[in-house]
This record gives sequence, C-alpha cells and structure tokens, in this order.
Amino acid sequence: MTQPFLSIRDVHKDFGAVKAVSGVSLDIRENEFFALLGASGSGKTTLLRMLAGFESLSAGDILLEGRSIADQAPNRRPVNLMFQSYALFPHMTVARNIAYGLEMDGLPKAQIAARVDEILQVIQLGPLAGRKPDQLSGGQRQRVALARALVKRPRVLLLDEPLGALDKKLRSAMQLELKRLQAEFGITFVVVTHDQEEALVMADRIAIMKDGALLQVGTPREIYERPGSRFAADFVGVMNFLPVTRTARGFAASDGTAIAATPALPLPEGGAVVAAVRPERLRIGTAGANVVEGRITAIAYHGLDLLLHMDTALADAPVVARMTADDADTHTPRIGRTVAMSWSAEDTHIFPA
Amino acid sequence: MVERNTFRLMLLILGIVFAFLYIPISVLVGLSFNEGGLPTAWTGFSFKWYGALLEDSDILGAAANTLVVAVVSTVLATVLGTLLAVGVEIRRRNGTWLETMIFAPMIIPDIVLAIALLSFFSLLGVQMGLHTIIVSHVVFNLAFVCAVVRARLKNFDWSIVEASADLGASTATTLRRVVVPVLMPAIVAGALLAFTLSVDEFIIAFFTAGAGRSSITLPMQIYAMIRFGVTPEINALATIVMAVSVVALALSQRLNKGGLPGQ
Repeated sequence: MTQPFLSIRDVHKDFGAVKAVSGVSLDIRENEFFALLGASGSGKTTLLRMLAGFESLSAGDILLEGRSIADQAPNRRPVNLMFQSYALFPHMTVARNIAYGLEMDGLPKAQIAARVDEILQVIQLGPLAGRKPDQLSGGQRQRVALARALVKRPRVLLLDEPLGALDKKLRSAMQLELKRLQAEFGITFVVVTHDQEEALVMADRIAIMKDGALLQVGTPREIYERPGSRFAADFVGVMNFLPVTRTARGFAASDGTAIAATPALPLPEGGAVVAAVRPERLRIGTAGANVVEGRITAIAYHGLDLLLHMDTALADAPVVARMTADDADTHTPRIGRTVAMSWSAEDTHIFPA
Repeated sequence: MVERNTFRLMLLILGIVFAFLYIPISVLVGLSFNEGGLPTAWTGFSFKWYGALLEDSDILGAAANTLVVAVVSTVLATVLGTLLAVGVEIRRRNGTWLETMIFAPMIIPDIVLAIALLSFFSLLGVQMGLHTIIVSHVVFNLAFVCAVVRARLKNFDWSIVEASADLGASTATTLRRVVVPVLMPAIVAGALLAFTLSVDEFIIAFFTAGAGRSSITLPMQIYAMIRFGVTPEINALATIVMAVSVVALALSQRLNKGGLPGQ
C-alpha cells in the first residue's frame, strides 16, 4: 500500500487538565472531501487548528505525504484554513484580500492579477472586486474567504464550519458548490462541521468525534446505515431507540414483544442493550418481522415526506415513522388514528445502552 | 405637562454649564482681536497682536521648542504605546495590575510626576534640557496612546492575524500589513491626543527643562510673560495654542468614534 496522503498519528492535545484531543489517528486520502463531525467541545476544531498549525501537538505527529509538518509554522505549511468568522481583512478590497496570499508567495504581479481574476470568475464575484468586506452580504463574504484560501492552491484546504453563518437555502446551494470546487481544483478538503446533514451531503468520508476521540470513520452511507454506536446512531439522522432486554432467543421490548434483529456488530457479553430503527424503515402494514401498533400523536409535514409521531407500547418516547407524500395520499394519516407499522430484522440495530 | 417643563429646566442648566465653560474662553479670544489692547474697552478688530507675536524672538523660540517637544514625544509615544497596547492584548496574563501600571501616569497628579521625574534625572546626573522634557512627555503620552489603541483592540478580530499567518505572512509582515492598518484610526487618534497634551503641558516641562532659556516651551513662556500682567500678546498666543489643541482633539475624536477610555 502506498503511503497515506495526510496522516494524523496518535495526536493528543491537552489544555491544562482538559484533554481536548486524545489519541486521534486518521489517514486522509488525496483529493478526498473529509468531514470531521461532532458536537461543540468534541475536539474537532482543535484537531483542525493543529492541522493548520495554530495549536501545537501535546503528543503524536502529523505527516503530509510522508513528511512531518507538526513543527512547521502556519505560514510555512502548504495548508490553508478558511476561518469560521471568514477573517477577511477589513481594510482591503475583495481583490486585495484574495491577492494577499499570492503576494506572500512572492509571485509576479501579472500572475497574481491573472490568478485573482480567474478565481473571481469561479466564485462569480468579479463585479464586486473593488468592494470592502463590510459592503458584502454574508454569502458573498463566505465566497471571498473561500477564494482567498483556495487561490493559493494548497495541498490541503481546511474549512472551519464553512457554511455555519449562512441561511438554510444558501447553505444547501453552497454544499454542492463546495463539492464542485473541490472536484474542480483537485484539492483535499477537511471540513469541520456540527451539522450531520451537511457532512452526509458533502463528504466522501466522515469521522465522528466525541470527547476528543474518534468514534467512527466511514462513508456517509456506512455512517448512516451502520452506525457503530448508540451515540453515532443518535447524532446522525433521526433514530428511534427502543429499550430491550436479552432473551434466550434474541431480544424483547419492555412489554415482552419479541424484537427480531440481526445485529451487525458483536455485542459485549451481558449489560443492557437498546434496539434502534430509522424512521424511513418503518412501513405501513404488517409485512416486516417486527410489527408495532401506534396511535398518531403528531404529524410533521416536510413537503416531500411527513414524520408521524406515534405512542406505542414499545417505548415511552414517541416512535417516529417517515411516510412519503405518495403513501400519505393513500393512507391519509390523522392525529388520533391507530396504525400498524412494521420493519425488518435487518433494519434493527442493537447497541450497548 | 411636567415632562416638557423638566426638559426646559434641563436645557437651562445645560445653557448655564456651557456659559460657565465658554464665556471666559470667548473673552480671551475676543480680547486677542481688540485693537486697543485694553480689557476694558473694545476699540476695533485687529490682527496686530498676532503680528506682534511674530516679531518677538523669545516667543518664536519657545514655539519652536514646543513644536520639537510635541512632535518628537508624540512619535515616540505613539510607536511605544501602540506596541505596548498590542503586546498587552496578546499576553493578557495578570491583566488587571498590568493595566493599572500602564495607565497610572494618566491618573498620577502632574505635579507628583514632575517632581518624580526631576528627582530621577538629578539622581542619574542627566543634563536637563529639551531632551528631558521629551522623555517626560513620552512617559504620560505613552499611557494615553496605549489607552486609545487598547480601546480599539477590544473589538479587534484576532482571527485576521491568524489568517495572515495562514496565507504565508511572517509576524512582521502581519503587523505591517494587517494589524497596523486596521488600528490606524486609533493610532492617529492617540497621536493627536498626545500632541495636544504635549503642546499645552506646563508643570512637567517646567520641572524638567533645567535652567537657561534655551529649553523654554510656549506654556513656560506665557507663564514668564504673565508675571508682568496679561498683555494682548498673551491673549493672542493663548488663542493660537487653544486653536491647535481644539483642532487636534476634534480630529482625534472624529477618528476614534469609540471615545477615550479613562477620560
């Protein structure tokens, strides 16, 4: 096997007694769109800042194409960071902001002008080249920050919550835009986000972080369909959790109903377990191995589909089922009605509780 | 309408305060244009006392000294005060006592500072002159520049410093191309304030000028002249000093809309 492109090896970061990052090892491939996903305080931003060079490593090493960059100053790393606050220079125009990094590289003036023009075309901000940052909208500022980091053509582009400050509609558009730019420039992207949907849409692979450690690394599909832990299952997407007990033949819900499951993961001996199923795996009818009757308590309309909240005998918390618009037309769910839902054994996850 | 009456009363008080503040100054300015030169009678408008200033070599010499002291001490205080403000902001450990130490020269009575500096220079055996006035003015001006720049730094987005480093700039380049330009309005405001304070500073200059006429500044010259009574020349000179201060202060306030801390 060839050497990994960007290799994070057993990296630790302590702030006094607080372990912000503890023992993270990760290989990121060339031209990969990689997402570090976690809640605030999970250590994802600290890890990103270590990649950028703004935080020193307490232990471990970071290698880029086999060479350690752990002791390299930020201004000497072939790595650029797009800041969450964008960090645009307020006293410079859009064009001067973008040119800054190229000037630091000592490129000839003509070449800088050409590169700036080119990237202004790509981000479609040509007409605003002469504006100052405070004369731009949030979305425009975000694109300038991206262009400023991208124009240097770094080996790795780090993005700290790149879409965090945008409104929802702009965010979905920019998710695809970021993917397009990443493919076009052929640069490895490492993006930090707390938004699981964003990570699922954009990333080639996702690492879920919790308490400074990696919980699971995988493709969006793997993460979503085969979550490795209860936390991962809960953090990514919507998940119904049903308290179950182990029985001689498998698992049973708190009311005694047998729960058919084919656990993908080896379970530890003994200890409490919990069953989980995604809302879209619940189907109306009794065709699946697991059947539940529930009274509809709430209907959340989302356009393409709706989410039914149901009171069942299986769990105290409402069970959520997703119904497509087509299904809703045929079945016309109403609050107060009782419906039978079922799901298969393969769609039942079992986690240590 | 109680509210309207309250408002009128407040306006009246405001008027009295302004009158109290500005009538003496207006009298001074007015008399400096009085042709006859007597405070008791207005005999016509004239610039002649301003002309008379230009023929007084003592006054011109003192004005030159004041300019030298103000410009040099302002430049030194601005550079040092700005660096101090940035440095303190970056390494904010033990912030409270450090801040008190820095701003102490703003609060310590001038006369105390003056005596302290005089004793200090005597102890070192330094020959006193313009240079000792300059050093003394740097002492308190540094605090004022630092205070003004610190106020601006409170809203400073430090991520632009990291962004500059990330884009390949050295620390010196970041300081020159990012930090200083962004802080420039506050730096200029601080410099103008320092200049104003230096131009009309009397006590400290008086104590640290040493003997001899060569290091007399404008306020000292006015003090020397006034012992023979208030002359129309003094009115004219005071008006000029005041005009310089007012313009510099107005520019300073305009540039630094956040206002001055500790003032």
